[in-house]
Amino acid sequence: MADSGFLSKLAMRAVSRHAVALICFAALALFAAKTIRIESDFTAFLPPSSTPEERLLIAQLRDGLVSRLMLVALQGADEKTLARTSRKLAERLGRAPEFEYAANGSLDQFVAQGEVLMSHRYALSPAMHAEKFAVPGLRAALEEQLTQLASPFGALSRSIMVRDPTGEFLAIVRQFDSGAMPALRQGVWFSADGKRAFLIAQTRAPGFDSERQEQAMIAVRQALADENPQVVAILTGPGVFAAESRLLIRRDAERLSMLSALVILAMLVFVYRSALVVAMVIIPVAFGLLIGVLVVNATFGSVHAITLGFAATLIGEAVDYPSYLLLNSASGEAARDSARRLRVTLALAVLSTVVSALALTLSSFKGLAQLGVLTMVGVLVAGLATQYLIPWLLGERALAFPRLSVPSTNFLGQSRWPRVVAVLAVVGAAAWLADQHPAWWQRDLAGISPVPPKMRILDAQLRREMGAPEVSVFVASRGSSQEAALKAAEGVLPVLHRWKQKKWIRSFDSPAWYLPTPDRQRARLSLLPDSVVLERNLAHALKGLAFRPDAFAPFVQDVGAALGAAPVTLASYAGTPLGARLNALVVELDGQWLALTPLGGVVDPGKLAQDLAAKTPGSSQVVDLKQVSADMVDGFRREALAQAAWGAALILLLLLAGLRSAKRALHVALPAAAALVLTVAVLVAGGERLSVFHLVALLLVLGIGLNYALFFERVAADADERSRTRLALAVCSTSTIITFAFLALSSTPVLHAIGITVALGAVLALAMSALWARRNDITPAGSAR
Amino acid sequence: MINTRRVRIALPFMAALLSLAAANVARADGFDIARLMQLLAATPAMEASFIEKKYSALLSEPVVSSGKLLYRRPDVVEKNIESPRKESYRFAGDQLLLVRNGAEKRIPLSSQPLLSAFAASLRGVIGGDLALLRNYYQLSLLGDLPSWRLEMTPIDEDTGRYVQLIVVSGRAGRIEQIEVHETSGDHSVLQVR
Repeated sequence: MADSGFLSKLAMRAVSRHAVALICFAALALFAAKTIRIESDFTAFLPPSSTPEERLLIAQLRDGLVSRLMLVALQGADEKTLARTSRKLAERLGRAPEFEYAANGSLDQFVAQGEVLMSHRYALSPAMHAEKFAVPGLRAALEEQLTQLASPFGALSRSIMVRDPTGEFLAIVRQFDSGAMPALRQGVWFSADGKRAFLIAQTRAPGFDSERQEQAMIAVRQALADENPQVVAILTGPGVFAAESRLLIRRDAERLSMLSALVILAMLVFVYRSALVVAMVIIPVAFGLLIGVLVVNATFGSVHAITLGFAATLIGEAVDYPSYLLLNSASGEAARDSARRLRVTLALAVLSTVVSALALTLSSFKGLAQLGVLTMVGVLVAGLATQYLIPWLLGERALAFPRLSVPSTNFLGQSRWPRVVAVLAVVGAAAWLADQHPAWWQRDLAGISPVPPKMRILDAQLRREMGAPEVSVFVASRGSSQEAALKAAEGVLPVLHRWKQKKWIRSFDSPAWYLPTPDRQRARLSLLPDSVVLERNLAHALKGLAFRPDAFAPFVQDVGAALGAAPVTLASYAGTPLGARLNALVVELDGQWLALTPLGGVVDPGKLAQDLAAKTPGSSQVVDLKQVSADMVDGFRREALAQAAWGAALILLLLLAGLRSAKRALHVALPAAAALVLTVAVLVAGGERLSVFHLVALLLVLGIGLNYALFFERVAADADERSRTRLALAVCSTSTIITFAFLALSSTPVLHAIGITVALGAVLALAMSALWARRNDITPAGSAR
Repeated sequence: MINTRRVRIALPFMAALLSLAAANVARADGFDIARLMQLLAATPAMEASFIEKKYSALLSEPVVSSGKLLYRRPDVVEKNIESPRKESYRFAGDQLLLVRNGAEKRIPLSSQPLLSAFAASLRGVIGGDLALLRNYYQLSLLGDLPSWRLEMTPIDEDTGRYVQLIVVSGRAGRIEQIEVHETSGDHSVLQVR
């Protein structure tokens, strides 16, 4: 009677403890659901910027002109239909709130845009001369216009010639000939083979704003469906990348977390065959994840979607601790006793992972810092929960579950050869890597951007077809005011003209063309005669020509208006595509003004930089975004290497302190180090280029490798305990390898890099630890059960 | 017995059909667009002088130019202006070769609808290519074999913004005159001699 009363009281207490844990968890989960903000600005996973060039690069990538341009390719119908659809679509998108404009190369669009240029032509034309408005100049111009009018295409030039017989508008437009325009068919941009029609639309939303970019994409698809559902649109560009990678990352995060959770659960059920035990294993992970995400949110103000994707891997790591505890307890042993017995090993395992993640939290890469905090907090909480919460929950109860038998690895220790082979492999790998260095570092920013390679390849292909390669070289002209910056940009023009003549650059697009300094504008306008003189000259020039005397009245009127007009400013272009473009080319950054002149097809950016330095006062410089980004990637890699080194040193100190023996610490550290070398070699041999993400993942490999080595290194009391250790290790490593292998499937480069590195590293670390397992583990052959 | 309602519907329908036939298809003398095109298509090549007058609201008197018109099968058309200033337009394949003031310029015809419509009007009429003309113009034939008049209205909106109507007239298989009426009200008359 008393016995059953004790038991029922025990059961009651266990149930109430479970209830307390459950209520705590539910409260936390509710709190998380209410407070956590998920963001997906992909630049969080771009390196931090420190130099002005780098800030310019990041600003351009985030919300510069380049980031706002969406490329729309229409296909799936005949040329005529595509051309018609292109016109309709351009018109609709031009009016849509999501877009500033949509260009398709058509003449009417050009004319509509050209009105600002037309009305300010005398202030903007580079071909202004006083002689053009004297009698002989006018006479020559009028004769030319007469032939033009009588030509088969007179209808085209008719309306412009009466306003602009001297051809100033044409002189302005000629400057813009970028040398690389898409082919025209049916009056709109087409691929050379006529299979795709192209439009370029500038979004109002900056490129990094993935949600509004997605709305813009939906607007394009909607407009197309209304216009002609048969036509298929391919959308690409930085904004599209942002929107699509957001979707991909979210899908990856959800699917991968789900899959690895399910597989781990299945594995746990297979190993333990008891709902209670599985629940005990899951509790620390669940608390760790939840609190980790909450801390990230509290620290950073939001949680990045990629960080959530990474959470999946945390499941694989954190599930190890309770497994290790439970599998190591002897049958009939209460969890609190085994927890006390395994305290040091468990603490070292948790702390080495925490330290390896610490290096991440110090990263100036916001995204990586988030991953670091999540790992650190998650693992720490899971460790604490394993050490204290589980024994508290279970109380006096000893868990019963069938213990699977895992074959011993003793055969590896019996012969020297496997170790010799391993040592040779490690030494060979290290030598090979040293020889290949530094070819295996990732130097391309695109390679570490979260944009999947497939999207980048499609984008590059469309741009090639369009003959509109991505602009990556600019001249950046600085000034204390907008005007000063534009003046500096104007000063660069003579050098650029010479370079273009020599065909050292293919094209350039200067904001100074559209916004000459007020002085220059005044100088040009001062070349115009007043109305009385102009009318007299015109009358003289018209004598004997077939034109009616009043045919050029609009010309006289326009010149009169130009003389009284205010100078052209950025505001003059408001509401036009040109205005949208100029807003992106004349920007304020760090309290200074910048006028950007994009260059196309620069043969030698370094030489251009020298030339500019020699011939301009130094307020302009060449910025090669590719070079800047490569430098940034290099710089960040150095930072990551330093952090990783610090992390490794800390881990070693931790081992020394925890094991209290240099020999034992070395015994634990060496297999892990060997695993690192082999992992890098296999990755590089497999064609991966190491980025900062791989480096960070290697740190995780080090943490995991040390865990295994620690477990193998523990002095086991008897064969039974050794057998338990083997089972614990098998379960732990399987869960780690599974979750990171799933991560390797991700199409997001960050997650893929971390996944493949850690999965591979875990396998190799396990093998190395087993090879160098403690001598006393070697028992006479046949001891394995 | 006859259903009067059906007759009432059928009559205007038949009348419309008949008028269509009269305009385009079958004529009493067997002269229709198809026949005209056959006649024109019989010309293997052509070389003729022309004189063109341009009338415009901007001009107090027409601008007169003259030169040679050339055609060679299947698709080469040249308009070489000799006076008042040398200028040449050569259409071959998908290309317009323009020579003005000693400078050459090549433009793909497919790049602008107006260009391809213009080239089609010359090639289609001189070479007798009905299918090509119908791609770009709505056609209507007036008159008879000794004196016909082919009116061509551009289908394409873009072309229509500049050109309202092209009228080609001639005698049997010979083209005598091409008039282009622009949307602006200007027009030109080219006489083949």
